[in-house]
Amino acid sequence: MQDEESLVRRAQQRDQEAFAQLYEEHFDRIYRYVALKIGDKTEAEDMTQQVFLNALQSISSFKWKGTPFSAWLFRIAHNQVVDYLRKKTKHAAAPLDETRASSDSNPQLMAEHTLDIEQLLQATKKLTKAQQEVISLRFAGELSIAEVAKVMGKSEGAVKALQHSAIVALRKILSVT
Amino acid sequence: MKKSREFNNILDECLERLLTKGETIEQCLQDFPEQADELEPLLQMALATKKAITIQPHPEFRAEARYQFLSALQRREEKRSRPFFGLRPRWAPVVAIVLALLLAGGGTVAAAGGSMPDEPLYRVKLATEQVQLILTPSALGKAEFYARLADRRVFEIAYMASRNKPEQIEQTAHRLDDYLAKIASLTSTQEVTRDVLMAPAVEEAPLMPKRAEGARIEVNRRARLRATIMHYAVNHPERLRAVLETAPESVRSAILQAIAISTRGYEKALESLD
Repeated sequence: MQDEESLVRRAQQRDQEAFAQLYEEHFDRIYRYVALKIGDKTEAEDMTQQVFLNALQSISSFKWKGTPFSAWLFRIAHNQVVDYLRKKTKHAAAPLDETRASSDSNPQLMAEHTLDIEQLLQATKKLTKAQQEVISLRFAGELSIAEVAKVMGKSEGAVKALQHSAIVALRKILSVT
Repeated sequence: MKKSREFNNILDECLERLLTKGETIEQCLQDFPEQADELEPLLQMALATKKAITIQPHPEFRAEARYQFLSALQRREEKRSRPFFGLRPRWAPVVAIVLALLLAGGGTVAAAGGSMPDEPLYRVKLATEQVQLILTPSALGKAEFYARLADRRVFEIAYMASRNKPEQIEQTAHRLDDYLAKIASLTSTQEVTRDVLMAPAVEEAPLMPKRAEGARIEVNRRARLRATIMHYAVNHPERLRAVLETAPESVRSAILQAIAISTRGYEKALESLD
């Protein structure tokens, strides 16, 4: 498995296989991030595709200056989400009930906390914008704290504090509903 | 304030261990007994969030999106390759387009550009390539074109492997074999060899500037082609071996054959360029 930096460099040199590999590695995470942010499965699919086409067009502009590639890619996704939500002022979320949960579930945990994507979507809407972003990037995008900090332009300490407050808030919201 | 910062760090450390290393909540709580009461409900909430969020796009969409993305990659590569044939006469692309239109119609040709070996339009793609090939002047130009085609075929083999199509992999590998043999034969023709022999040494003052300049261009093109072939000689078998690692059993023997073809074919091509 090649490290991400060398893959990205190859992709910048128009190595199709390298770009295809980056696509495979990030596709699901970008999809989950977009789906959680906009709450619409069909739109999330189309937008995820567009994120990669945009990345393909602009990958030559990406520079390794302490910014991980994933942070750059999520930044593109974030900008697209912002554009989408701005245009769609009366945004009605399509239910995500057709989506699949992974099969390796922990029965004990599920018994204690059966939370489905619909409940989570409703709950995250009640978080602040920054808390929503941290939850989306950290849990859906599977980014590290350092990567989230890069995407959001905040310090790692600030992101950790937001992560803490977001989980506390989610717990409070879901215990009431 | 300091205490809160410390707790944020502990929470994040536990989340990392839970979410990325697969540890349990209990394992983490054991390491932080003083914070256990506060940590436990938050970690449970975080795990439930992670579980709920593990959604995936529809498989049909994923397949379609992947195909479109790979086609976009291929189109980008084709656009880039245009200057590669910059030494063709100006009329060549026009005639190529006219002939291709006669063969299949404009919309069909455009649509065929990104088609794959298991699709009906693939034949149109191959026919268009043949027209371009016929209109490419000089043995070196044709060898350059075959190198481009070889790259396309390897890309298609990788794609066919992902679609579990052994027959198409074999057919495409045979085409690859043919192209590499053509490169070897074209680069050892008299035309190319004569051009190289005519090229002046770098420090030598040219006696017949125009002719010498033309020969120098040919030498540069040949060196460029050799560099391309050297790159493909490593990259293509490597790419196919990577495909083999994750390929289903049904296509493995076809991929192994393609690896053997590319390894042998590039060796011969390089020998002829030496």
